[in-house]
Amino acid sequence: MGGYGDVQLLRDDGTRLDGRKLDEMRPMKIEAGVLPAADGSAMVTHGLNVAVAAVYGPMEAHPRKIQRQDRAVIDVRYNMAPFSTSDRIRPGFNRRSREISKVTAEALESVVLVERYPRSKIRVEIEILAAEAGTRCAGITAAAVALADAGIPMRDLIVGVASGKIEDTVVLDLDKAEDNYGQADLPVGILPNTGEIAFLQMDGDLSPDEYNLAMEYNFKAAKEIHEIMVEALQRRYEGGEA
Amino acid sequence: MPQLVPSLLRQELARLAEEDARLDGRGRWEAREITLETDCLYNAEGSAKVTMGGTIVYAGVKFELRTPWPDRPTQGSLMCGAELRPVAGRKYEPGPPSPQSIELSRVVDRGIRESGCIDMESLCIVPGEKVWGVMIDIHVLSDQGNIFDACGLAAIAALRTAVVPAERFDVGEDHKLQVSSTPIMASFTRAGGRFVYDPSEEEELGGDERIHITLGDEGHLHSLQKGLKGVFTPAEFAEIFDEAQKHCVELRKLVAKEEGN
Repeated sequence: MGGYGDVQLLRDDGTRLDGRKLDEMRPMKIEAGVLPAADGSAMVTHGLNVAVAAVYGPMEAHPRKIQRQDRAVIDVRYNMAPFSTSDRIRPGFNRRSREISKVTAEALESVVLVERYPRSKIRVEIEILAAEAGTRCAGITAAAVALADAGIPMRDLIVGVASGKIEDTVVLDLDKAEDNYGQADLPVGILPNTGEIAFLQMDGDLSPDEYNLAMEYNFKAAKEIHEIMVEALQRRYEGGEA
Repeated sequence: MPQLVPSLLRQELARLAEEDARLDGRGRWEAREITLETDCLYNAEGSAKVTMGGTIVYAGVKFELRTPWPDRPTQGSLMCGAELRPVAGRKYEPGPPSPQSIELSRVVDRGIRESGCIDMESLCIVPGEKVWGVMIDIHVLSDQGNIFDACGLAAIAALRTAVVPAERFDVGEDHKLQVSSTPIMASFTRAGGRFVYDPSEEEELGGDERIHITLGDEGHLHSLQKGLKGVFTPAEFAEIFDEAQKHCVELRKLVAKEEGN
């Protein structure tokens, strides 16, 4: 975390700079089935973030050495579009996107019934079109909806959600300024039905009590986001218009 | 993995051509439904989303301050790049830019650059010291045919609605990027032996060569490209050139309408 400078992130009345309460997340919109070329897809708009996920497969896994005899492998690519940030990003993978891709793949492997598809591969492509803090969580949420949209059997969905700390105060869902000048960030991937955690990262400084509160916020928000995910899938498959 | 062109698809395209019909029921020169939306991405200084049937493309414009080339001290620069990432379709693989994506980038780049719609001198801030570099990045999210036209349209629409972020770089006030014209691309693929406009994915898969024509406001040619194996006659070109003129006029109106919003 940055944690530098004397930027004021909380107003005197205790609300945040964008007017949110401490445990309030930015508005979220989800649409399933947005990419005709993909087997499954979803777009998550979360505050100013835009994340799109496409799923291809299950398909033959090649080269052969990546095949697993007893299960499918999940191949995730998290990528930020060159125009997604304030300063243009050079196209191509960097260390950050490689790490996020790896841990996201492992989180998704924990919920997809990979043993149903031995020797095959499921491709998950996460593209960030606009980034304002929280893109890995938006990407996880989009990937989960896209997998469901592709009809791939899963034990549960995964909800990507984050809490953090600004001015010694725990808050839900850091925005760009809060992420840059805040003290901690705790992004997690929560299985909404079982209450298990499939994705976990953290950086900064949190006391055990602060960690517990941040997790409490995350679980509460995960419920909300789960409803939005389910509604998106229902709109897609029950033909109901929004 | 090389894509196997099913001979059945080729036969079907040939049969349809004899009846002057197409797989999706369109006329030979008919386009699929097109939508254009601009200013749709928060961090891009200009942005556009284009859909053509099931093809979806985004373009984003970014600016950077740079020192001019020594031999052109008063000129800024323009760069156009298209990424064909694996998100776009089953056939796309991860890895360094493929020859296809480099061709796509360069054809779109040439059409815009050669039309002269951006005066490179207007991108100069301090001669010999500071100029704007304009970068258009095109992101193909869903390829269901004719990504060339979709990329060309998204690129020019994003440019024409771009705002130069001078305040953020401390070099004056934000202002609209000057773009003096609207070059538009029209693409044709030979399917079933004859050329069709706005080819679908199946027509590209079971077809032969493709021709891309970029035309300026006055109907002048600014870029041409023939891709893939195959040959064509001057008479065939004359025919598609006429059609290109008509479609470019229509698409230019679409861009103008979106700008008016």
